[in-house]
Amino acid sequence: MPKCTPLATKMLKLNNIEVTYLNVIRVLHGVSINVPEGTIVALLGANGAGKSTTLKAISGLLRLEEGEVTDGSIEWNGERIDKKSAEEIGKLGIVQALEGRHVFQHLTTEENLLVGAFNRHNRQEVRHDLEMVYTYFPRLKDLRHNIAGYLSGGEQQMLVIGRAMMATPKLMMLDEPSLGLAPLLVEEIYEIIKRFNTEQKTSVLLVEQNVRVALSIAHYGYVMENGRIVLDGTADFLKNNEDIKEFYMGLSALGSRKSYREVKHYKRRKRWL
Amino acid sequence: MTELMQYTITGLSLGMVYSLIALGFVLIWKSSGVANLAIGQLVLFSSWFTYGMLVQAGLPPWLGIPLVIIFALMLGWSVERLALRPLIGQPILSLIAVTLGLAYFIEGLVGIIWPKSLASLPPLFPQEPLRIGSAVIRQEFLWAAVISIVLFVLLSIFFKYHRMGIAMRATADDQKAVQACGIPVTRIFSQSWMFACVLAAVGGIRISSIGNISKAPLVEMGLKAFSVVILGGLDSFLGAIIAGPIIGLAETIGGGYLSKVAWEGVREVIPFLIIIIVMIFKPYGLFGEKRIERV
Repeated sequence: MPKCTPLATKMLKLNNIEVTYLNVIRVLHGVSINVPEGTIVALLGANGAGKSTTLKAISGLLRLEEGEVTDGSIEWNGERIDKKSAEEIGKLGIVQALEGRHVFQHLTTEENLLVGAFNRHNRQEVRHDLEMVYTYFPRLKDLRHNIAGYLSGGEQQMLVIGRAMMATPKLMMLDEPSLGLAPLLVEEIYEIIKRFNTEQKTSVLLVEQNVRVALSIAHYGYVMENGRIVLDGTADFLKNNEDIKEFYMGLSALGSRKSYREVKHYKRRKRWL
Repeated sequence: MTELMQYTITGLSLGMVYSLIALGFVLIWKSSGVANLAIGQLVLFSSWFTYGMLVQAGLPPWLGIPLVIIFALMLGWSVERLALRPLIGQPILSLIAVTLGLAYFIEGLVGIIWPKSLASLPPLFPQEPLRIGSAVIRQEFLWAAVISIVLFVLLSIFFKYHRMGIAMRATADDQKAVQACGIPVTRIFSQSWMFACVLAAVGGIRISSIGNISKAPLVEMGLKAFSVVILGGLDSFLGAIIAGPIIGLAETIGGGYLSKVAWEGVREVIPFLIIIIVMIFKPYGLFGEKRIERV
């Protein structure tokens, strides 16, 4: 198996973290992830693998759901952040866009974006970044005075990402930006994420079930299953991995689409352990 | 005609005070989902405190009133900090129960500090009656209405353009997403309590400077504010602003004419009659957002 080459300096580092909900339900069993500066890292896997939990552990939102990091550590530029509150973590420059388009429904598009910039006090800069977000998402500019609750699904997803951009984060964590969107729109949004990453040098930690599209922009990827990391490597390595191809992209070794008619149901899904 | 004019103006003026107090309720409800059952008592407390400042300490209004506002801010802050914050994350019913406990606590406290049952404030507004056409109205009512309108405008500007105001509305929509943006929700809660207390204080000053300070009518203000909130819709600022004058008018016009044919206290019943009727036909209030709640 080709060993992955270490990328640039690590900015975010998860060391063997364990997460327990309600003191009894353990959902992560020793997850280690590195997010180097300026890269896009994808966290892939099926439903219930623990991807969103991992993001919430980083952003500190876990505590709202009676969850806790019970073992291991999370480091941000060498400083431990796993005991910090969501607010403190936000101020460090880590921002999470929640899964499922959490826009503020009764606020206008522009107001939604301004909420993202809550912790910034320089009005001039906020104005400037508002324009920046509008250059990434020109459609939002047209809709700036519309009530966010009435935007379409794709526009709401753009708004959620734009709101995260407004915090000028050092690390932007996106939870399933492709959820429920048409393929064309997914590609459009991913293009923009890619562009934002290269132009603004913001690291992105991406949770995604849509493996193909995630690996099209990511530099590095981790595959999660049952609360563990089962495979990791550069995007190219993962794209060419037989298991990934077969079980996450639905392609057989020949690269053609595979028929599942002949496969026993328990073999349809990869069991790693 | 003259009578109607008088009833209309007093009703509007009174209703706007209801709106102010109701806005405080809506604010807390929207940002934290807590029904504040202690609004009447907050009105009561700040009215007596005004009495303490203006009469007992003998301060002039320009000094006394700002002190009352500062007191209201501190009251709101400490109520949130001491009574509600320890319960964040607990079932919402316990939080509501806490506000009920708070109501009785404040009532008791007020009873201990000011054992008198009746007091009055020095007049804050010019006293000469005003003539509009054939109607004679007390000038105070107009001033009170002007103050309410100014406060409405200031509040709308705050909610529309201020960073904190926008964040408060955002919290009302989606608490979790607000936290994901790195906004301290606890600060939003404590600010909404501070705002609500200031609004209650302004309402209290208005009511007790025109009438008297005594327990029953001031606590009843809280109930009237409830009826405003229910009529307007629990989660609607606009609803509170519009429903206040409606209740006020119903009370003065309906009460004024009905008390001639029916019994004396009919005026006090009308707002609650309106609530019952509204609840039957529009359970979410006039401007309330329809929401599916799973119980």
